[in-house]
Amino acid sequence: MALSKDELKAKILEKAAKSPKPQLYIKDFYECDPDAKPRDIKNIANELVKESKLMFWSSGSTTMYAVPSRIKNEETAGGI
Amino acid sequence: MAKHATPLLDQLESGPWPSFVTDIKRQAETKPECWDILGILELSYKDRITHWKHGGIVGVFGYGGGIVGRYADVPEKFPGVEHFHTIRVAQPSSKYYTTKNLRQLMDLWEKHGSGMTNFHGSTGDIILLGTRTENLEPFFWDLTHDMSQDLGGSGSNLRTPANCIGQSRCEWACYDTEEVCYQLTQKYQDEIHRPAFPYKFKFKFSGCPNDCVAAIARSDISVIGTWRDDIRIDQAAVKGYIDGKFPSNGGAHAGRDWGKFDIEKEVIALCPTKCMKMEGGELKINNAECTRCMHCINVMPRALRPGKDTGASILVGAKAPILDGAQFSTLIVPFMKIEKENEFEELTEFIEKVWDWWMEVGKNRERVGETMQRIGLPTFIKVMGIDAIPQMVIEPRSNPYVFWSDEEVPGGFQRDVQEFRRRHAA
Ligand code: HEM
Ligand code: HEM
Ligand code: SF4
Ligand code: SF4
Repeated sequence: MALSKDELKAKILEKAAKSPKPQLYIKDFYECDPDAKPRDIKNIANELVKESKLMFWSSGSTTMYAVPSRIKNEETAGGI
Repeated sequence: MAKHATPLLDQLESGPWPSFVTDIKRQAETKPECWDILGILELSYKDRITHWKHGGIVGVFGYGGGIVGRYADVPEKFPGVEHFHTIRVAQPSSKYYTTKNLRQLMDLWEKHGSGMTNFHGSTGDIILLGTRTENLEPFFWDLTHDMSQDLGGSGSNLRTPANCIGQSRCEWACYDTEEVCYQLTQKYQDEIHRPAFPYKFKFKFSGCPNDCVAAIARSDISVIGTWRDDIRIDQAAVKGYIDGKFPSNGGAHAGRDWGKFDIEKEVIALCPTKCMKMEGGELKINNAECTRCMHCINVMPRALRPGKDTGASILVGAKAPILDGAQFSTLIVPFMKIEKENEFEELTEFIEKVWDWWMEVGKNRERVGETMQRIGLPTFIKVMGIDAIPQMVIEPRSNPYVFWSDEEVPGGFQRDVQEFRRRHAA
């Protein structure tokens, strides 16, 4: 049984807050609800960005997600 | 006056070819930050290491693509390039511009950025090189409000779709490449502007197998025009070419005397499937064997034309050599009608099926072509609901093991192992 949207949002945020590295791939969120379609998870992650609860972190060729407070400043460009 | 000594770069200006160093120096006369581009590059040449940091968090509000962040790791030395972000602006279909539009765009870029450009990046976008984070929103506002233009894709987004000039100027176009490109760009706005996938995804549209946008080499889904009826032949014009009345290849090889046109040598012998011959003064084509390579049509455009029952072949999985080697895309659907009437439904269904599979099983930073290679074409076409065709086989089988799945064998594999072992001890 798939989670409700709010439950899924909470799980995604929890995962993003606790991951060892601040930047996560979209695939890292799939396990938050194995029953949901990848495209639904993507849409919800992007919605969290719109709500400023997550942010995009881009290497130029790949885009990752992060909790804003875990990224110190714009220049945390470790390089991926 | 040059702000930094750049002896290594200056050397690059000494050759007979145009030099980007000269270009940047000229630009630096009005945009002083460009001196720092030369300075940081000179330092990289000296240190043999890049002084750019890749990646970061830049963008415009609501978008998750279109801006590629670049920061110098030696900003104290080169403050002009402390931030030097790249902006991708979506190109119009076929890259038709008015000079007014180009001037406006250049004015905008002089105002908000370094003035340095790259027309066009390999994805097709207009690339504007070098601006600071605080200039991004004002630039984006002017671009969208004053010019009605938009950013292109970057990161794990659908990249800006690209097409050949197609029916706007080319008689060989087998479908309306501009229309498909435009419609799909509109349909997939969300995928273009916000990350949607484990990695980048591109589609490109060529009107015929000449493939002027190099879709087969550069796009995850390549849509290449083709036809399924017969090549149209004007026998009188064939004779005209033989008699030297018309220049072959539209005169493209007229710069030197290559001798008299020889249809046997220049057309028939070069047909990859050897399906052409002259018979009784007429050119004959065995269309069932023709692979639609376009060679004969390119050589004798006045005599030969693609058929009338046109559409496209759909190929999947091209990519550049970032992780593995480069690869072309693989033919998956030999022929599909590409029709505006049904909003290209057959094509968009195909695209979304590929996305669903790749998002599920693709690894991080794995292009769909790599996923196909890792998991195997047989599985891929099964998922797509497509039957195998001989063209998908590269070579005769070299592996003696054939594994049949249960449902491929009439009656399946149901058997009693105990009973079998009673007769054949293990
Ligand atoms: C050692 C340094 C660099 C390396 C190894 C590097 C590597 C790459 C790679 C692998 C790509 C392809 C990314 C993709 O789309 O998958 C790329 C694209 C790009 N890079 Fe770099 N890059 C470097 C420095 C720079 C610098 C200094 C700039 C700008 C000042 C820059 C601007 C760009 C742009 C604009 C693109 C996209 C081009 C297009 O869309 O066709 N890069 N780079
Ligand atoms: C369906 C029937 C058979 C299968 C699937 C089979 C499979 C194999 C396999 C996988 C190997 C290992 C190959 C390697 O390590 O590169 C092998 C080796 C060998 N097989 Fe068979 N085999 C079959 C029938 C036979 C028969 C009927 C004989 C003898 C009459 C035989 C004699 C051998 C020998 C002597 C080797 C060792 C070759 C060497 O070490 O160079 N096999 N077989
Ligand atoms: S790909 Fe074919 S149709 Fe498109 S411009 Fe080139 S020759 Fe013309
Ligand atoms: S298009 Fe290519 S394969 Fe077909 S007849 Fe002409 S040369 Fe031969």
